[in-house]
Parts: sequence; structure tokens; C-alpha cells
Amino acid sequence: MLVPGGALMVLVIVVPLGTAVEIALLDLDQYTFRQWLSAPFIGLGNFATALDSGLLHAIWLSVAYAAVVTIATVPIGVTAAVATHNHFAGRGLVRSLFLVPYVLPAFVVGTIWRIILQPQGIANQLLGTGGTLWLNGPRSFWALVIVQTWASWPLIYLLTLAGLQGIDPDLHEAAALDGAGHWAKLRRIILPLLRGPVALAAVIAFLHTVNAFTLPFVLFGVPSPRDVEVLPVLTYVESFQNFRFGVSAAMAVASLILVLLPLIAYLRAVRLDRES
Amino acid sequence: MNALRGWAVLLGAALLISMTACDSTDGDSASGAGKTLNVLVSANSIYPQQQKDWFTQVSSKFQQQTGAKVAFETFASPNDELTRIQTSVLAGQGPDVYSLGTTFTPTAYATKAFLELSADDWAKIGGRDKFLPATLGLSGPDAGHEVGVPFTSRPFVMAYNKEILAAAGIDKPADSWDGLLAEAKQLTKPGQYGLAVAYADGFDPWKFIWAMSVQAGNPLVAGGKAILTDPTTRMAYQTYLGWLATDKVVDPAAVGWKNAQAIAAFGAGKAAFLPMVSATSKVTLDKSTVAGKYAYALMPTIPPGATTVSANGKAASSILSGDNIVVAKYTKNKDLALELVKMLTSPEMQEIYYKTFGELPTNAQYAQTLQGDPALAAIVESSGKSVGTPFTGGWSQVQLALVNVVVQSIPNLSKGTVDDAALDKLLQTAQTTAQTALDKAK
Repeated sequence: MLVPGGALMVLVIVVPLGTAVEIALLDLDQYTFRQWLSAPFIGLGNFATALDSGLLHAIWLSVAYAAVVTIATVPIGVTAAVATHNHFAGRGLVRSLFLVPYVLPAFVVGTIWRIILQPQGIANQLLGTGGTLWLNGPRSFWALVIVQTWASWPLIYLLTLAGLQGIDPDLHEAAALDGAGHWAKLRRIILPLLRGPVALAAVIAFLHTVNAFTLPFVLFGVPSPRDVEVLPVLTYVESFQNFRFGVSAAMAVASLILVLLPLIAYLRAVRLDRES
Repeated sequence: MNALRGWAVLLGAALLISMTACDSTDGDSASGAGKTLNVLVSANSIYPQQQKDWFTQVSSKFQQQTGAKVAFETFASPNDELTRIQTSVLAGQGPDVYSLGTTFTPTAYATKAFLELSADDWAKIGGRDKFLPATLGLSGPDAGHEVGVPFTSRPFVMAYNKEILAAAGIDKPADSWDGLLAEAKQLTKPGQYGLAVAYADGFDPWKFIWAMSVQAGNPLVAGGKAILTDPTTRMAYQTYLGWLATDKVVDPAAVGWKNAQAIAAFGAGKAAFLPMVSATSKVTLDKSTVAGKYAYALMPTIPPGATTVSANGKAASSILSGDNIVVAKYTKNKDLALELVKMLTSPEMQEIYYKTFGELPTNAQYAQTLQGDPALAAIVESSGKSVGTPFTGGWSQVQLALVNVVVQSIPNLSKGTVDDAALDKLLQTAQTTAQTALDKAK
């Protein structure tokens, strides 16, 4: 029974991954890609070029931005989930509205916010900060964080809601019988039980943000302002604007390592949990 | 990760295409009964329906002539097209004929995936002489190694608001950048700016910098060397950035504008001049409040800081802009493909194309008949005064490096300064990036 699944995994994951690693070691560009297998082998040359082309800066930006977004979205998502867990009139409507940012395609979110954040856009009019530059310069980082947070907190909300529904109703009842108030119940029973689902949600949100391409691309365009030149955008520019496919593949391999780290940490945590 | 996924898709597509490759029929003759020629062209977002009709028209006409059908496919952006070229080239199977933007032709040439036209091939198209000489400027690195056949011309010009100029007693736009700035200053008042310029556009900025540099005698790339830290280029940036930052003749909001927003601002009557637009802007402007009140003129050809064209400079009015047609090397229908190119560049089909899409012909005979039309005078003139950008496989990188200088200057621009030290640093980075790209050119 392992054969079909195994073959599929080889075809879908191992082959492209192997190809990417191989390309990362070749001097592959517009001059050589026609016969890409015979492109010159340059070992780690592409990684050195990638480092010169701002790879570390991009990694730092991506990690910082993903971390800030994750830290910001967790409380919003958990609060929204807890607030809409119990029945109240209009709950269905509120729950649906919460999902709006999540179901909008990133392209649409980017386009709308690009208009909102123009120097003479709605954001500056509302804040009374006419002419302030959001889409370039130091504020662009925070613009990206704000928009990404707006677009991705419902993911945390959804996963937390699923976690809430997995809590045995008897526990609520038992707590009520013991005279626990609303706040005590939340703090001592619900939140500790939500730790697992919320941790999973945080890891997924982090990975999702580290890999986010469409939103920064649509918001800022290319070439990117230096403050928002995140790794996926830099990788894209190398491939599709500079045609340095080898360098781009090296960056892709670097980003793979980047997303593997939190993933491994999470998997270890889950396993430890199970063993204990 | 995205690039990784891109490669996975590419590999999948390559496998799929090579699997279906067995179905195609061999043969190299122009008698095409039962054959289909695949053509990849840019999707026309302004005239989508007309483009579909044009596809049908071309296919049926070609079928009458040769018995073969033409199947058109479209791509939305140059990146889409590049991906398509990559898959096709790797698989040795795909569209027989592609239309490419002129400035993308050097990159396509560098892949060696397209047919270099021999004298015999040119003869089959109807001869090199049937084209306007200027339009052949980006067909290949030299006359002996050409891949691109000029198909349409979309030169850049400047729109100006006739009412605003007349009210200030200016009869026509200046022919020098300094003169234009002086006029723009005169025409700037509350609620109205002299110039509409898209500083956040991904392409417009390099075209300004290139034009001003070339006019001052610096081609930006010569003999495999990048020349981006030259005083001429520095002055071009200072002029271009200064319009908004220090001269205040551009709306400060323009730091966030793309080309379409600059056109919209001009269309709303809020700017006197709109440089760096092609004739396709006519569609938008004719529906705007300035309909009937604007005209096109050549952009200045005298570089900043000068009153005459410099001795070694070129009076370039525009980059050589438009589309080239290339034939894939792997095509099994080379003669049919050349037959189609011949048909598309014939006076008759060029006329249909011009009348449908408003893009200028490259066919010399038909272009002659348009010269008398006063509404087109500036655009036709600009087509003749266009100069080709450097023909190197590294041009895309040079272009990106030029735009990057503007992108990274925008925070300062927004503060109302052009920081010379910061500019020099950015120019140095651009020079290094461009030179690295040129060093790899083969």
C-alpha cells in the first residue's frame, strides 16, 4: 500500500526538490537554460552571489515580519474565537464577516490596501497624516505588517475555534458546578486546553507569512523598496527579472531551510507532548 | 519556496508537453493543408474583443493562402511569456511564432531559442527593405544576426493640455528638458501641476533616465561596459527626481503613482504635460474631461543643462518601442511561420492592425500613407526618431537597476530633497549590478 503514496511523493516532492537543489549548484541563466543540464557546475557559487544580493537582509526582514505578524494575530484570533464560541443572536453573521479578509485573494487585498495607503489615500485622511509615505521608506515595513495581520488573523481564529469545539462540554459543566466564574473558567480551563491548537495555528501563520509573495508583490511592486524586500520577492526578482535561475534556486533552498526550522521545532514539541 | 514551486510546475509542464509531442506531424513545406500554426501574442487589455476578431480574421486569411490555420494564444505579462518560453524551449515544443516586446528581444536572443534570419529567410518574409529602418533597431545585435521582425511600433510621446498652455500664452511644448521645466513651473498653481509623472511605475523611470542620458551622449552600455555613474546619468536622475522634490512641478502624491494614475491625473485636467505615454493613452484620454483639449508632441530631445543636442548625443525622442515577431528554432513549420510573418507585415494587414488597435505600422510602404495625418504627426515623427536600447542579454538587469535607483530614492523625494550623496551611492550599486550582468553576457 506504500507504493502508490511513495511514488506520488517521489514525483511531487522529491523530484522537484532534487531539481531545485541541482539548479542551485548550476550557473543557470538566460544564456544557459536552453540546455540546462549542461549548464556549468559552480558548487556554492550561487549561494555566495545570493549573499551578495541581499539574501541575509531579506531573510532577516522575512523572519522579523513573520514573527511580528504572528505575535499580533494570535491574540486577535483567539479573542475572536472565544467571543463567538457561545451562542448569541447574529453569531452566524459575525462569524461569516470574520472570514472576509481570509477568503479574499491576496491579490485583491493587496490592490485594495495599495489604494488605501496612497499618499493621499483614505488611511492618511482618516489619520490626519496627509501625504505620509506608507508604501516606501521605513513605514513600508509596518504597512506590510498591518495588511498581512488584517489578512491572516482569521486563520488563527478558525483553528482556535476548531480547538474550542474539541473541548469536552463536561469540563464546562464541571467547572460551573465547582463555582468557577467566566474569567476563571477561561483562564484555568479553556486557554490551557487551547495551547496545542493555538501553537499549531501560530506555526502555520508564521510559515504562511514567511512564504507570502503575492501581498508584498502587489503592495509594493518590483523593484521593492529596501525595507520590504522580503525573501519570496527577492527570489522572484532573481528568476523573472534578472533571469539568474541558479541564484534564485539557491535563495529558494535557503528559504526552504528557513521554513524547516520552525516546522521541526513544532514537530518535536508535538512528539514530546505525546511521550509525556 | 515560490521559485521552487515554479520549477516544479515547469518540470511537470515539460513532461506533459514531451508526452504530447509525439502527435505533431513533421514536414517543412509551406503547403499547410491540415496544419495549425501556434502563435503566442500579448493579450490586448484595451481592445479584448477586437483582438479576438482579429485572430479569427488572420486565421481565415492564412487558411485561404496556405491551407493552414493559425491558433492564437495570449499572455498577460512579460513574465508569463518568459515562463512560456522556458517551458517550450526546454521541451522543444510549443508556439511556432511569438510576438515579443522590443526591449525583451535581447533577452530572448540570448536564449538562442529563436531562428536567426538568413538572407533567404528575410527574402521569404518579403525582404528587410520593406520595414522602416528605425524599427529594425532591436532585431538583433547586428544586421547579420537578427531574430526579431518588426511588427508594430508604439513610440513614446508627450500629451499636453492645449487649453492650459494657451491660457499661459505658450504655443507649443519646449524641445529641451530645461525649457519644459520652465514651462512646467509657469503652469503650476494651486490645484494644477506642470507635469504628471509616475514615479512608482515599474518601467517609466528608466525610460526617462535612458532618454536624457542618450541625448547627452551616454548610451548607458557600450562595449560591454555599464556607464551609470557618468555625470550625464547623474544629472538625468537629479532632473527627474528634482521635478517633484525641489522644483515642485509634480503632484507630491505622484511618489505613489503608476503610469495609469499619471494618465488619470492629466485626464482630470490637473496637469499641463504628460510625458512618456504611447498612442494607446488616447483611449483613456478621449473618455476623460480633457477629450478634444489635448494633443501629442515629441518629448524634449535636448538633454538637461543644454540648449542644443550635444555633439555626441542622439536626439532620441523615445526608446524603440513596439513588438517584434520571432520564430522558434524548434518549429517544424518554419516556412509556414515565415509565410505568416510575411502576411502580418504586409501593407494590407498592417493597415488593418493600425485601424483596429491604433498601433503604428513597421511596413515602410504603409507608414508612408500615414505621414500626412496631422493627428498622428507627433507619433509618426517619434517613431522615426526612436533609438534602440542597448542590445545585450543583460539589458533587463540594467533596466531594473535603473528603476531601483528611483524606487530607493522615493523616501527622500517625499521629504522634498534629492540627496546627492545617497544618489551617488545608489548609482554605484546600480553600476555594480549592471556590470555584473554585462560580464555574464555571452
